Amino acid sequence: MTSSLRRWAPWAALAVVLAVALVIGSRPAGGPTTSADRVRHIAAELRCPTCRSQSALESDAEVSRAMRAEIQRRVDAGETDAEIRAYFVSKFGKDILLRPEGRGVSALVWILPVVALVAAIAGLVVAFRRWRPRDVTVSDDDRRLVEDALHGGAT
Amino acid sequence: MRRTALWTSLALGCAIAVFVGVLATREPAEVRLADSPLLGKPAPAASGTNIFDGSDVDLAAYEGKWVVLNFFASWCVPCKQEHPQIARFAQRHADDAQVVAVIWDDSVGAAKKFFRENGGDWPVIADPGVTIGLDYGVRGPPESFVIAPDGVVVAKYTGPLTAASLEQVMAGKRAPA
Repeated sequence: MTSSLRRWAPWAALAVVLAVALVIGSRPAGGPTTSADRVRHIAAELRCPTCRSQSALESDAEVSRAMRAEIQRRVDAGETDAEIRAYFVSKFGKDILLRPEGRGVSALVWILPVVALVAAIAGLVVAFRRWRPRDVTVSDDDRRLVEDALHGGAT
Repeated sequence: MRRTALWTSLALGCAIAVFVGVLATREPAEVRLADSPLLGKPAPAASGTNIFDGSDVDLAAYEGKWVVLNFFASWCVPCKQEHPQIARFAQRHADDAQVVAVIWDDSVGAAKKFFRENGGDWPVIADPGVTIGLDYGVRGPPESFVIAPDGVVVAKYTGPLTAASLEQVMAGKRAPA
């Protein structure tokens, strides 16, 4: 094994571990299985219009109960999750969604943290490279100084 | 260095001036036109039974007139504040406009008592299941929608209404004589 390979091996291993963790972490969890699960799943992604920071699933406000009933009715009618979410957006506006959409300006919410992470890692790599001692040549005088210090130079 | 500080202070000062200007010139939070995905679109259907006389109330029946669809509750203080204004508007525009009230998160008994105490003779419908409220994207009372004679939603108000603000909307949308 060459010395450069040995030097880069830990970084490569780290990159592999990160990539695997990201792939596993970003895999969607098992989708809802029953219609009741779907109702809960969709209600959890919608904001209760009359409450602060509560989803339509968590809130017991009358309007949230009505939203859950409307979702159930639409699930039973065979609408997709996206169609049901679109219905609520068409009435309340985009801010009814608790999770920002991954399109347009809203996509920045998802993209910016990744960009910031990559920039931070790149910055660290550059900083670490700068901190490494550059081509230091040891002169005979330097060696003599060290020798003196180690073997009786301390007088 | 001194120049940088000067320019930074100037930029900061301008930003604060613009911010204060925006806050100072906007409509007060209590009475304001709100944004809604329904603006410019046909008003969602709304019907029910008038809680006072049991007659059928259907927005479709008011086509050709301005309609003010007012979501209210007896427990809502701003609803009580706006009520005389709505009454004034209803009186002034008996010929060309119709006010319809929808009960929001309240009992029919409480709504009847509210009207007995505060006056008003426009139709009031209950909204069991909040189906009308959901179709109009209502977040809480008072909220009012102004529907033009062609059935299109032209304004949404959050907070207490005034007769003047309603008339302004009507004047802005009415074809010049």
